[in-house]
Amino acid sequence: MENTSYDIRQLNEKIHQASSFVDLLQMELGKAIVGQKYMVERLLIGLLAQGHVLLEGVPGLAKTLSIKSLSQSINAKFSRIQFTPDLLPADVVGTMIYNQQKNEFVVRRGPIFANFILADEINRAPAKVQSALLEAMQERQITIGDTTFKLEEPFLVLATQNPIEQEGTYTLPEAQVDRFMLKVVIGYPTKEEERLIIRQNLNPEGMTPIRPVVDPNDILAARKLVREVYMDEKIERYILDVVFATRNPEEYKLQKLKPLIAYGGSPRASINLALASKAYAFMKRRGYVIPEDVRNVCFDVMRHRIGLTYEAEAENVTSENILSEILNAVEVP
Amino acid sequence: MLMLWMVASPLTSAAQEHDYFEVKAVPDTTQIRIGEQFKLNLSARVQLRLIPGINFKIVFPEVPDSFAHFEMVERSEIDTTGSNNVEKIFRQTLTLTSFDSGRWALPPLKFEVFSTTDGSYDSVFTQPIEIDVNTVAVDTTKAFKPIKPVRTVGWLLMDYILYIIGGVILLVIIGLLIWFARQKKVPKYVAPEPKETPYEEAIRELKKMEAEKAWNNGDIKIYYTQLTDILRVYFEKQFRIPALEQTSGELLHNIKPITILNQQREKLQAILTLADLAKFAKLQPAPQEHEDCLQKAIDIVEWSKPKAVEEKEEDKTNPKA
Repeated sequence: MENTSYDIRQLNEKIHQASSFVDLLQMELGKAIVGQKYMVERLLIGLLAQGHVLLEGVPGLAKTLSIKSLSQSINAKFSRIQFTPDLLPADVVGTMIYNQQKNEFVVRRGPIFANFILADEINRAPAKVQSALLEAMQERQITIGDTTFKLEEPFLVLATQNPIEQEGTYTLPEAQVDRFMLKVVIGYPTKEEERLIIRQNLNPEGMTPIRPVVDPNDILAARKLVREVYMDEKIERYILDVVFATRNPEEYKLQKLKPLIAYGGSPRASINLALASKAYAFMKRRGYVIPEDVRNVCFDVMRHRIGLTYEAEAENVTSENILSEILNAVEVP
Repeated sequence: MLMLWMVASPLTSAAQEHDYFEVKAVPDTTQIRIGEQFKLNLSARVQLRLIPGINFKIVFPEVPDSFAHFEMVERSEIDTTGSNNVEKIFRQTLTLTSFDSGRWALPPLKFEVFSTTDGSYDSVFTQPIEIDVNTVAVDTTKAFKPIKPVRTVGWLLMDYILYIIGGVILLVIIGLLIWFARQKKVPKYVAPEPKETPYEEAIRELKKMEAEKAWNNGDIKIYYTQLTDILRVYFEKQFRIPALEQTSGELLHNIKPITILNQQREKLQAILTLADLAKFAKLQPAPQEHEDCLQKAIDIVEWSKPKAVEEKEEDKTNPKA
């Protein structure tokens, strides 16, 4: 059924009411996490749009704290997997163990059986382990022995990559990176924020505990509503223009980008850009997507989906530079 | 018999009676330096009146290329200029040189004359000539001098004249080709239409929308898209803001430094917000809102009208006497 203006108004009101938990959630997280508002916002986009998030940033930027706090505030199960070179797929997904008393094999579930997973330093583990995790992320189910287990929703993986220590790492292949909806690059907090972080950590009463403010079912309901957010044809065309400009920049008067791009965004990029825009609009308590929403999430959705050529690397051109050029050239509807 | 034939021969008898056949070998110099060339002029003169009715042939001496310390350099053709009905004169010039110093005698050279009429024959010898071939005087008391360098020949315009002419012709050809090519490309002059200023363009389009009541022409989304596009194009051309590539929020942020536009911020925000709702949220604004938006857009463009246009309009309304 095509949306009418009346439908949109109703939807808008519905979303306005349903999205009220977002502010509540952000307030609750703000008790434990100082600064990093951007990262928290992206985590919520991932949570609402059913997409996983790849985080890149130096250690000590409250990555673990953020996802742990998020799971506490949603009353969900959290688990952290530290990826190391000797990690095995069974250490992530679980394995079959022989029970001598019962004389049978029983399943021992791995740490992936949780709602929120922090896959720390994912690039330290060999390809086999990465594949096991990424497959679980995609299929949202795990097969151990003959039994397939569906992972409990909401299921969100937050993987981190450490950009400063690359020795002995197994860089994620492009096809694997593409499975993350967002790649967020986080930076240091400001001086004022860091002052508050010190105070908070040195508080004799300890950290303020995080209370569960949202039920996981609310998240699942919100996910459905996110997909209902109205996206006009003009916005769809805008998304396609942005993605196609990464593939054929010369068609958008960006010939100079042609030798810098090895490959552009995949159809998965278009899907995720649309979905993340809807999630962002939902968070802004709107029932429709506007171009601002697309532009706001564009860098995080697209930066890991553009392949750079050697020429670009030699000239220190980043995918962010390319995206900036594209966004400045593609006409906004 | 031979004696009888000789007595009967007209050449022999002429020789006995007169000196009808005279030969000479005259050098242009008798003193040369070693290796220097000199000319030896040979001539044979035959008095025709002394041998009437006889056809004859003169044979010049056969001088070899090298003989008696002399070397032949050049041998000219036999020349008969100066001959007439009275006498026949034959001339030849030999160019000779010698590479042996000393005084050397050029031997007598034998000239022969044959009668083609009766086959009689006569011969005459030239006088021997002495030629002094001198060496170059060397002052042994002085030191040896180095060999002189090769002398360069002076630059002469004529040496290069062909190249110069060729170059000039080439330049003329290239010039003509360029001229012909330009003649073809030069477009016909078309008087340019007076160009509209961004203000004039925006106002014209907004007034057109107003006159046509564009909001009644179908999809309201198209109306608001056109309205905002006119404003965005105006901002882009007039204030150099890349408004077409900016979202409403970015545009409102970027007009802040432009005071004249920032003064109309509220009106612009109202238009953009309503337009975004109409374009992206399927909102159907009330009919009055369409007109209000258009009027606000006209107000913004009028307010931010450049001074030059204002002055032009004032001149039109109050022409100076």
